[in-house]
Amino acid sequence: MANVNVTIDEKAGAVPGGITVLEAARLLGVDIPTLCDHPAIAPIGACRICLVEVENQRVLQPACTFPVSEGMTVHTESPKVLDARRFVLQLLFSERNHYCMFCQMSGSCELQNLAYRYGLNHWIFDRPFPRLPVDASRDFFAMDHNRCILCRRCIRACDQLVGNGTLGLKHRGASTMVIADMDVPFGESSCVSCGTCLQVCPTGTLMDRASAYMGATKEITRVTSTCNLCSIGCGVELVVRGNRVIRVEGDWDTEPNKGLICEIGRFHLLFDKRARMRQPLVKALGTTGQDGLVAASWDEALDKVAAELAAAGAKACTVVSGYASSETAAAACQLPGDKMLMEPAANGASPACLDALDEADVVIVAGSDLAENHQVAGFAIKRGVRHRGARLLLLAKGKNGLDDWAYHKWAPDQADKAVAIAREAQAPVIVYTADNEALAAQLGAALPDAKRVYLPAGGNTLGLAAANIAAFQANDATAYYVVAGEAKEIPPDLRVALEKARFVAVQASFREPWEGLADVLLPSPLLFEKTGSVTNAEGRTVQIVAAVKTSLKAEDQVVKELIARTHR
Amino acid sequence: MAKVTLCSDWLDICSGCEMSLLDIDERIVELIKHVQILSTPVTDLKHPPKEGVDVGILTGAVSNDHQLKVAQMIRERAKLLIALGDCAVFGGICTMRNFFDTEEVLRRAYVETESTAPGQEVPRSCEIAKLFPQVRAVNQVVNVDLHIPGCPPPADAIWYAITELLAGRIPVLTDDLLTYD
Repeated sequence: MANVNVTIDEKAGAVPGGITVLEAARLLGVDIPTLCDHPAIAPIGACRICLVEVENQRVLQPACTFPVSEGMTVHTESPKVLDARRFVLQLLFSERNHYCMFCQMSGSCELQNLAYRYGLNHWIFDRPFPRLPVDASRDFFAMDHNRCILCRRCIRACDQLVGNGTLGLKHRGASTMVIADMDVPFGESSCVSCGTCLQVCPTGTLMDRASAYMGATKEITRVTSTCNLCSIGCGVELVVRGNRVIRVEGDWDTEPNKGLICEIGRFHLLFDKRARMRQPLVKALGTTGQDGLVAASWDEALDKVAAELAAAGAKACTVVSGYASSETAAAACQLPGDKMLMEPAANGASPACLDALDEADVVIVAGSDLAENHQVAGFAIKRGVRHRGARLLLLAKGKNGLDDWAYHKWAPDQADKAVAIAREAQAPVIVYTADNEALAAQLGAALPDAKRVYLPAGGNTLGLAAANIAAFQANDATAYYVVAGEAKEIPPDLRVALEKARFVAVQASFREPWEGLADVLLPSPLLFEKTGSVTNAEGRTVQIVAAVKTSLKAEDQVVKELIARTHR
Repeated sequence: MAKVTLCSDWLDICSGCEMSLLDIDERIVELIKHVQILSTPVTDLKHPPKEGVDVGILTGAVSNDHQLKVAQMIRERAKLLIALGDCAVFGGICTMRNFFDTEEVLRRAYVETESTAPGQEVPRSCEIAKLFPQVRAVNQVVNVDLHIPGCPPPADAIWYAITELLAGRIPVLTDDLLTYD
């Protein structure tokens, strides 16, 4: 569309035709306050805070939805506009129960900020004090309806960004309430606890249990980093106060997640109840330590591990988890014996382009449950199904988290049915993980034009593969060194091998699940505490940046010191 | 020049606002050069004279019939009335009981709390003020000339407001002086 000339608050300029007054104002450097607007979500003009005076219009217009036209002149802070804005704020505050003095959002609340900006120091209307509930049925975050301004950002985010569509409204006018599904408690609904609604909520309505009351905007710092709990490698912002990460948010400005993260990336590390590894532990005979593990000095522990690995020589084996950085992987390559990945890996799979999921008209998911792992990829598929009419074909057995979005679901041995539909598609995509490599190959052969999205298990699996660390294979190794990071589960093959081995040392962030198996346990910094690079599923190298300082040795440092001692 | 006369009284309060007023610390020495504090709940004289005062300060919300009378009395006797603190300005924390029936509230407070010995009753003496069904802000029962929100308002905000008034200006609270918590 051709440009149009507009004037907003004395700033004149040419802007693209068809955009809104709000978008034009941002281009011209004019700040119009908003509440229900959010850059990632389509505007709806619900809150009326952005009302502006447009010359020749009979009434004030909401800048977020009103389109520009040639010669338009807009005043964003005229007396009429200021009166209206204060009136809207008075109505918002009067409708429900807004108590700043005990709200965890005070100091970070967009509604409060506007009230301060416009100097509101008392209410002019009587308040009805509706009796509204607090829904605390979700594990990690709660919703206090008393603070809700019905901006609908949560509903729109759940629908447009995540594709889950869990949230909606019931009733009308002053009785309107945000609900989940058919008005069930959030914890019993189709909610996947991704926390996107939590991240976009402008007030204290949605609050997470980890960061509530832990610090307002002026008291916190933000560190841009990458999540490494799966191979998608979402860009995140770590919210830090007093050398503690209190909250994880999706970084709106990075690929491939564009601000979204999943329940695992947002909450699991903050709510992990396992005991942290803080000092080296060595299994000593005839002691009263837990599982026979007693605290040891770094020298003692490293010497013991080095001696065992050196003695085992070619029968030593280092297993590296995808939680490890590429720097650690590079260092680990110099340890004696074989080097293997902890998580399964596919052979010859090329890095995926996750944008393919946002362009696909047919998506075949070969076996994986994208509501368990790689959830952000699942969100892209859900968005496509809800908004683009994309068809999801699930080839899986048993319950799958994406069942409700599937056009058809078949057992994996009926792949030809999926192929028949995908053959007619314009932009088919096959999504698979290492466990379903064979099925994916079969599909790929039948659909040569289909884009393939391989989602490696583990975080930095591609980075480890680049360091020539091969997939796990049972061998006759007698001494194992496992760089485990935050791993929660031990793959069955590895567990069998560790139980058979003579000596097992593990470098881990948590004591569980290694206590019964390890002869030596070395502490490893958590994701938030380390700096390093990882290669995500798209094949891009991205940075993990430490948000907090720790006295623990750096992850690669432990490996390097071990190597120095094995070569003595 | 004659000193400005000032009085204050409290309604449904925690006295945090009074503590915040005292947090002007040594500035009170300067204050009393220009202001004569006639009566407050924490000084010897508790009630303003019938002739009235220049400035009246009310803290706390209007929760019972006695507090309503106090608010009306201070309004009558003060040329300029200040509502100080979130409870006086908005109703504040006190309004939490607006979601419940007053009988429920009284039973909870006097009978059911975990640390109350069994067999207690709600006191019903006619000398005890009666709860209104809803707690209200001061500006819902009398005209208020100046609002200073905060829980409590920062001492600097109180100091700023008083000094602006003494200089003949209407104080406008902004930045760190305007707070709702």
